[in-house]
Amino acid sequence: MSSFGFHLAFWLLAAMTVGGASMIIVSRNLIHAVIYLVISMLGVAGLYLTLSADFIAVVQVLIYVGAISVLMLFAIMLTPRVERDNSETSLKLPAAVVMILILTATVFVALDTDWGAVRQAALADQARLIGQSLIREYVLPFEIGAVLLTAALVGAIALARRDDEDAAIHAQSLQAEAEGTADDVALLTDPPLVEVDVAPTSATGSTGSTSEDGG
Amino acid sequence: MSALDFGSGLFPNAGAVLGAWYDFRDLNNLSRLITEWIADWGPDWLASIVTGLLGSLGILAVIGPTLLVLIWVERKVIARFQQRYGPNRVGPKGLLQPVADAIKLILKEQLAPRAADKLIFFLPPVLIFVPGVLIWGVLPFGPRMSVADLNVGVLFLLAVSGTGVLVLFMAGWSSNNKYALFGAMRAIAMSISYEVPMVLALLTLVIFSGTMSVNGIVEWQQQEDVIFILLFPLSAIAFFFAASAELNRTPADISEAESEIVAGYHTEYSGMRFGLFYAVELGNTLVISAFIATFFLGGWWLWGLDQWVPSWIILLAKTGAVYFLLIWTRGTLPRLRIDQLMGFCWKALVPATLIFVAIAAVERTLLVTEGWDTTVALPIMALINIALTLGAIMLFARVARPARLRRPARTTLVRDRVGGLAAAREIAAQGGQPSHVGGGD
Repeated sequence: MSSFGFHLAFWLLAAMTVGGASMIIVSRNLIHAVIYLVISMLGVAGLYLTLSADFIAVVQVLIYVGAISVLMLFAIMLTPRVERDNSETSLKLPAAVVMILILTATVFVALDTDWGAVRQAALADQARLIGQSLIREYVLPFEIGAVLLTAALVGAIALARRDDEDAAIHAQSLQAEAEGTADDVALLTDPPLVEVDVAPTSATGSTGSTSEDGG
Repeated sequence: MSALDFGSGLFPNAGAVLGAWYDFRDLNNLSRLITEWIADWGPDWLASIVTGLLGSLGILAVIGPTLLVLIWVERKVIARFQQRYGPNRVGPKGLLQPVADAIKLILKEQLAPRAADKLIFFLPPVLIFVPGVLIWGVLPFGPRMSVADLNVGVLFLLAVSGTGVLVLFMAGWSSNNKYALFGAMRAIAMSISYEVPMVLALLTLVIFSGTMSVNGIVEWQQQEDVIFILLFPLSAIAFFFAASAELNRTPADISEAESEIVAGYHTEYSGMRFGLFYAVELGNTLVISAFIATFFLGGWWLWGLDQWVPSWIILLAKTGAVYFLLIWTRGTLPRLRIDQLMGFCWKALVPATLIFVAIAAVERTLLVTEGWDTTVALPIMALINIALTLGAIMLFARVARPARLRRPARTTLVRDRVGGLAAAREIAAQGGQPSHVGGGD
């Protein structure tokens, strides 16, 4: 644990993590910021590896680099006109206050913790241990988390779907199926996905109007 | 133990792998010899660096020439499927065609759009190599022959292949080209969706064999004398299709569909930059074929034949078979639409694989906790699972009509609530010229 290679890896990864994190703050471009975030997260995954926590490290890459950052990119791309600049916000001061509080608490905890307790042999077969403790000792928090995620999933679907259109489409497809022409009809009568009148005269700025539907 | 053991009596030393370096049935011997030789006179870190370099350079030295041949094989086989000759001008049987292509790509001018995000535009052709090479690290070519036999190897495979998508997004977004961006969006959407059945399909194996090490899964198959495609055929099918979707191969290559969006995320890449994308795509196809062979066909093990033939040759043979299957699907099936692909993933593959995860958990409990005899229970379980898989396929074909799968309700998000269209109206109200609004899918 005290070899030269270990120290080199630690300092390189620490530089990667902290450097990436500071570049997020400095960067004006949101896409660049997400990519710096990915660099920072990869650094954290490397730090887990130096602690012989290979399961956590791989999961860090799988979830944060592979999923969360992609989700952020999606959110940025689907939001108009934010992708090229990190605009001004009136929440600067509250954000600074909250971050200073969190940083203070973290530093306090870090200084207060007895790190000597960690200096043990690496746990073998961590995935099995984590799985067993999730299913046995911590089954209730685990289940609560699962229910919360399911609720979020259902909520997202409920926000995004629209009953009237679903009903219309369902009726159409049932009818088509009864006529035995489901496959042809599906191709021929599908309304264009997006049909919008972009002439300047009709632009009223109102959203949610259904008159623009092609179907 | 195995059917070929009787041969050990006929040929002395036939069954046991020798420890000598010239026994190429186990290439690990050579690596161990070098390590021990360095350890005699040099420090420890030198030995680990040298073995690490040997492993990664060995992998690179194998991939590079293989890719050149594979390009030829793929084009030739596809040509046969389409009743053409395929490349047959450069070299004998057209074998040197990939070399000529590579020279052409290297000599081509490398353009970059003026409005491209320069840094992010130049990185992806290089970065795309990182997951493409890392993923080989956990592939076992033999009992002890993998660069890193992680005990979370399966997760490593998923994590590394998941990061590739980020690189595709960087390529598509930084090009400042709407087709490139469409391609990147489609690649991300497909990858996120198809990762779910992929993980679930592998989860059945992990639950059943009780290990997350890739080599452990092969060893389990060796120990129980069964290959996983017999025990969990539906997982194999789901993994095969999800892999071909993640690899952007033809039934699911909408992220670079040339008839719709030019070339997708690598539209703006010319010369060798495009060549690198192409090479990594082929390399990923090869390594995923190898992983399909490892997970579902027993990898380096083949009912005792691995004691006679070098294990890595067995793995390569299986890989070739799976690779041919991938070319076959590519040559046979037409390209699907994105809503069809999404519908197939979320409405067919995910529920089916989820059910099989539950089945795997029950069967594992019967075997381990209840202590059922594996020699009797495994064939019965295999029969039950094959029947269930056939039932699921029939259910999909007969009851869940494809017409239902291809009718997704459009979300309010895409249509008119937020995002592109609201922004387009706003621009229109300001007198701007929105050249292209929404459109396509």
